[in-house]
Amino acid sequence: MRRARRFNINGILVNAAALVLVLSYALPYVYLLMTSIKPAADVQQIPPSFLPAVVSLDNFREVLQSSALPKAFASSLAVAVLTTVLSLAVAVPAAYVATQYRRRITTLFLLFALVTRMVPSVSLGVPLFQLLKSLGLLDTIPGLVLAHTSAAVPLALLLMSAFFEGVPKELEEAARMDGCTRFQAFRKIILPVMIGGIAVTALFTFITSWNEFLYALLLTSEATKTAPIVIAEYNSVYGLAWGAMTAAAVLYSLPVIVVTLALQRQIVGGLTFGAVKG
Amino acid sequence: MSGEDRFVLCMLAPALAILGLLVAYPVGLLVFDSFFKVDTITPHIREWVGLKNYIDALTSKRVAESALRTIQYSVFALFFEFTFGFCAALLFSALPGRSRWHRTVFTLPLMVPPIVAGLLWRFLLVGNIGIFNYGLVYLGIITDPDAIAWLSDEDIVIYSVSFADIWLTTSFVALVSYAGLTNIPKDLLEAARIDGANALKRFWHVTLPLMRPVIAVIVIVRAVDAAKTFDLIWIQTQGGPNHASEVFSMNIYQRMVRFGDLGEASASGTLFLIVMMLLAAAAYWKIWRPAHA
Amino acid sequence: MKNFLSASALALIFVAAPANAETINILVEGGGEMLQKAVAEKFTAETGVEVKFTVVPYQGVFDKFSAEIASGSSAFDVVTIDVVWNAKFAGHVEDLSRLFTDAVRKDLPPALLADAQVGGKMIGMPAWANAEIVFYRKDLFSKPAEQKAFQEKYGYPLAPPKTWQQWRDMAKFFTRDTDGDGKPDFWGTDTIGTFSEEWMAHVLQAGSPGVILDKDGKVIIDNEAHKKALEFYIAPHCTDHSVPANVNEIGWGEAQNLFYQGKTAMMKFWAHAYKMTPADSKVSGKVGVAPMLAGDAGSAAIPGPWYNVVPSTSQHKEAAKKFIAFAIANNALGIEAPLGLAATNSAYRSYSGKPGYEHFTPLLETLSAPATQGRPMNEKYQEIVDEAVLPAVQQALTCKADVGKVLADAKETIEDILD
Repeated sequence: MRRARRFNINGILVNAAALVLVLSYALPYVYLLMTSIKPAADVQQIPPSFLPAVVSLDNFREVLQSSALPKAFASSLAVAVLTTVLSLAVAVPAAYVATQYRRRITTLFLLFALVTRMVPSVSLGVPLFQLLKSLGLLDTIPGLVLAHTSAAVPLALLLMSAFFEGVPKELEEAARMDGCTRFQAFRKIILPVMIGGIAVTALFTFITSWNEFLYALLLTSEATKTAPIVIAEYNSVYGLAWGAMTAAAVLYSLPVIVVTLALQRQIVGGLTFGAVKG
Repeated sequence: MSGEDRFVLCMLAPALAILGLLVAYPVGLLVFDSFFKVDTITPHIREWVGLKNYIDALTSKRVAESALRTIQYSVFALFFEFTFGFCAALLFSALPGRSRWHRTVFTLPLMVPPIVAGLLWRFLLVGNIGIFNYGLVYLGIITDPDAIAWLSDEDIVIYSVSFADIWLTTSFVALVSYAGLTNIPKDLLEAARIDGANALKRFWHVTLPLMRPVIAVIVIVRAVDAAKTFDLIWIQTQGGPNHASEVFSMNIYQRMVRFGDLGEASASGTLFLIVMMLLAAAAYWKIWRPAHA
Repeated sequence: MKNFLSASALALIFVAAPANAETINILVEGGGEMLQKAVAEKFTAETGVEVKFTVVPYQGVFDKFSAEIASGSSAFDVVTIDVVWNAKFAGHVEDLSRLFTDAVRKDLPPALLADAQVGGKMIGMPAWANAEIVFYRKDLFSKPAEQKAFQEKYGYPLAPPKTWQQWRDMAKFFTRDTDGDGKPDFWGTDTIGTFSEEWMAHVLQAGSPGVILDKDGKVIIDNEAHKKALEFYIAPHCTDHSVPANVNEIGWGEAQNLFYQGKTAMMKFWAHAYKMTPADSKVSGKVGVAPMLAGDAGSAAIPGPWYNVVPSTSQHKEAAKKFIAFAIANNALGIEAPLGLAATNSAYRSYSGKPGYEHFTPLLETLSAPATQGRPMNEKYQEIVDEAVLPAVQQALTCKADVGKVLADAKETIEDILD
């Protein structure tokens, strides 16, 4: 009976609306993609055209010839993955106790996390530079991971707190009744049901690091330069290589598409906390 | 210390350590610098000026104007991001089957490097080459592609530059809301249905209250980020024409980095921090946990 | 966590240790690496000193160098900086007077020498220089029908423009509605509303003793030359309608694109664009170049040089200076790079007459013009431009403001900044 309901008029409307919304958001990206396969002379045509008159892979050829980009992709990927792991390892337990074991210190702690999210990042750049310099971590992957983690932890904390807020306290209590320690309850019972929230948080932590520009600019040099910096270099004082830049941007988006698809799989509905109560 | 307290502390400690080490010191420094006349590139030469930097910032017409523009920009961006994002999340969760591909395509904007996203929107909106207006002509909304000068009309530019922000971050709202929606126990909704509540009622009385913390976090995070945004705007207009798209954090950036006026910029930064704190606290108590208000 | 930190710190020390051969690190923008790569290779071959480039985006040079100075030590031995930052960094770099031998001095355009000097100290050595010159469509200018029509209308022959009046006449002449929809879709030229350097060049052409500030640091932005130049700068837009009307959206990139797309007949633009014209562009092979326009004081431009400086905190100052001396002595090596720019007269002259380098003669002529001079050497230059100069130009370009009042207001703002 349910199956039948799905193909009623509402279902069609929902599908159509979702399609329109998704496509209109995809359109600028598609335009970027179209630009990347135009020959150099056409990338900024007047008047503009959406589709390329001639398809050319010159922009991709130019980008792939540059030796800097593959290395930068590797750095970016390493930094983003490590940042995601470290941030989640730090933020998920903290968010859990901050919402499930509420007391004055945890509220203060959440507020402190908020403050760190609000500081204008330019004012964090130079102190971080000095800090990493004194630790000997300038232009190293661990150094940039630390910097990115400092930016990602507040976000991860806030997101995870919001998700944990929906977890009924009974879930932990039931687990403790069955002989789990607090930590075991957290790890074996709570975390598995939070997988959707963790996946979303991981995704945005990853993207925060992957797209980060200012810290990467200040804290790295040739050894660990990340992709956003290398791509920004196509915009030089002597002119913008827009064709090459769009091609680089398209390549840049591919790893994130893979990561997103993988993480999206984890965001599934149908958790029944109610069952625990019963 | 009870076992429970010890557990809380152990779970908090790593996060505290990271934030304490990497953020508390810079924040302290920001507040400290705000009481000095000091240049960004020579921080060891400083002169105590007390509250002068704050007085200068609070009485500057430029600062006041850019603060007002920050509000215009953030409210406009947040409104559309939230509306579109939340609707998208509701649609995705209403879709039969899993909406993995929908959601992934919807996240595409975030996969473009921000500098490219800024330039992309500049080139979409700017005259002569901007395809956006040609699209509007095609849809019959305007008759002439030169009809709207998005980036050079001083009256609308502060809103035009937010399109890029809206495009980039709607998917954040959508995905976080979607994850929140999937966490709502299905049996609660089912129980409401059995009690005879229609879809709207179920949404209002079951879904929305349970979504409060998620909505609060989205609003706080996005409002803070929108108010902090300046690089996207900088790439599109450099704050022009005639400062018409200059926001507060851009003003701070310019003073701190381009002009080297660390003291005054830090005072503005501290003021920014205080205002954001008050707003966030309000959002926390009003939306997140209204029961404790 | 702590183990992790110290382990990576240790790893770093071990990696850094065996680097015994002397190496100098150079912080550059992308263009700077391109232009100096050849000379660096030759330098290494002859001296054994390794040269390592750290390439960052344009603003990154400023941001990174600032952060290094603020932290009190520097990983860089040479930084290649834009002239607009010279005054800002002057107090944190070595005096390079010793490298300015008579031979070097004689070989550099005077404006570049003047910009190297801040407070009696030679803070940097020019690495390459650029200036705006006139670009025009050779094919249109040589068409007999166009020549005849122009002569009839304006009473003098159509030739690359030399004066302000000629520029305006020709811009008006070429502005056309080619598709008959009642609106121009081909323009004589463009007006840039997001940068103010081009207006500054006109200020010098009008005979002002300086741009914005005079030699003693007095604000002269409201003098007659500034006013006349601003009136001329906005005339093609406000009076003649010979430029695309969205002037406040037009920056260097847009101006260049309009020309490359065959939408404008002329542009004033930085000389390097001549060699960078894409081979598949609509105007490829049809581009002519001439020296920058002349006003009452003759031709003049605002040079766009970059300087090699040695940070005071460098650990390899002698090698760095050796490199800089070597680079200026072998300045012509950069010309083969895609950007094709140099700083010395001799480097430019060594390519004169070679096909593909037609822009060098007008560039050198413009750089060496007596009225050509740099932007004011003031630590607050960036702030002055952002806060007062550019807004003034943008206000004037609304065509509704009184030019005299706009400049008087700008003067007040600048005096506030300098206080």
